[in-house]
Amino acid sequence: MNIPRNKWPSVLCSLPASEVRHLANVLSGELEVRDVALPHAGLGLLNMREGAFQESYFIGEIPVARAEVVVRDTAGYEARGGALIVDDRAQLARAIAILDAVMAGKLPGWVNAMTLVQQGLEAHQQKQTERKKLLAATRVDFSLLGQEDDEDEE
Amino acid sequence: MSYVAIKGGKAAIDGAAAVTDYLRCKGSLDEPLTLAMIEEQLRLLTSRVISEGGLYHPRLAALALKQFQGDTLEAAFALRAYRSTKPRLLESPVQDTVNMRCIRRISSAFKEVPGGQYLGATYDYALRLLQLDLANEDPAAFKNVAKAFLRNTPESELPDNFPKVIDSLRAEGLLPPVAPSRAAAFDITRDPLVFPVPRSAALATMARAETGGLLAMAYSNMRGYGDVHPTVAELRVGYLPVMLPHPVTAELMEAGEVLVTECEVVAMYEGTNGDELPTFTLGYGACFGHNEVKAISMAILDRALQKGMQDGPTNPSEDPEFVLLHVDGVDSMGFASHYKMPHYVTFQSDMDRLRTTQQKMQQKESEATT
Repeated sequence: MNIPRNKWPSVLCSLPASEVRHLANVLSGELEVRDVALPHAGLGLLNMREGAFQESYFIGEIPVARAEVVVRDTAGYEARGGALIVDDRAQLARAIAILDAVMAGKLPGWVNAMTLVQQGLEAHQQKQTERKKLLAATRVDFSLLGQEDDEDEE
Repeated sequence: MSYVAIKGGKAAIDGAAAVTDYLRCKGSLDEPLTLAMIEEQLRLLTSRVISEGGLYHPRLAALALKQFQGDTLEAAFALRAYRSTKPRLLESPVQDTVNMRCIRRISSAFKEVPGGQYLGATYDYALRLLQLDLANEDPAAFKNVAKAFLRNTPESELPDNFPKVIDSLRAEGLLPPVAPSRAAAFDITRDPLVFPVPRSAALATMARAETGGLLAMAYSNMRGYGDVHPTVAELRVGYLPVMLPHPVTAELMEAGEVLVTECEVVAMYEGTNGDELPTFTLGYGACFGHNEVKAISMAILDRALQKGMQDGPTNPSEDPEFVLLHVDGVDSMGFASHYKMPHYVTFQSDMDRLRTTQQKMQQKESEATT
């Protein structure tokens, strides 16, 4: 399955962090990983569009972790990868950035990384399926309510 | 105010911390609360703290609740303190709640809305009677509840997200036109509120306001010190995908998601001075977590404050300064709590002045009688 690059971080975050870190560690042993900038974690201010007049405002802050790496294989091919996730674990962001580079550049190990992304996608979809069950079980039809008899009146 | 120097204070303060922890741990249970227990089984409490703390970090909110033994004000304070130690890495692009992955969506304005209504998890239609069997819940049965629900509920082909109810009203020309401000949103974490403030400052302040404080202000409007008369066009709870730019490609990508409650209320229509047709007025509320009363209160107050900003306030809930400076839980709790701290010098001064005044009056009385 062709999963677009802009979905990789979120689906990888659907998996246990230990699985993502493990594969990144394995690949790091076989490839040269150079940090473009040190992985770091902090906060992001979340800018929202309100529904009444479409104005923007800040609802609050979110934890964010960011990493950017260049990965080079033994033949000298290299690819750049990055991750920016809603999380406060900088090393998890670095692990995702390594996988991002490996998959983007189809460097050795990219199939394993893509398999992990596929597993993440399934976990992501499973979560969404469960949420839809919350909706499906509680769908309500108010059309039988009388206009005058049953409605709550102040 | 002035404080007197303290002797022996460190030992007493250390002792107070030990006593507090003793009370946390002295119960009949051997097992401490896990953060997952708090986050999952007390999800609405956790929601309250992430909302009032202004930081979407459910795990740390659960930790704060554990540390402060269920005190939501202290927990929100701790979350704010934590955030103040962290660097600001980015300001996100504007997120649109139409992308929200709803787990609840209702309208009290229309029986039928595009996409349908879903009660989701709610106590709205539940009897407020104690469920006594929860007092001695069987762990095996507890574990089976979620599994059985998922097993017995068929999968559905529902969409990932839903249109906004007010969009259909807007399409009919019943709402005011959208005229978004080009001004940057006001950052209440960096800039103090100096009145008048833009609406974005009001929304941000209310989004992290203390729930009870916000409710009290909104309730005053509902009961009669105001005239919003809202109808909930839509109340939705769901997970909003957070879209951030990819560090390499700069293309927007989903970086995670946050649970948000959002409410849009339609209020009484207003006439216009010119040739424009009258339209309904609108109020908006949203906050982190699942906090419905807070989002509804915020929407009512947003509408009330819009009126106050435009025409001048005619009641407290329309006064931006009155509302926005009194709804923050950390601010107001801090002020109330500071009265517990030693005020010996100021109070001794008060007593001296009172004694002097009494002496002067007694002296005058004695002079008058002699």
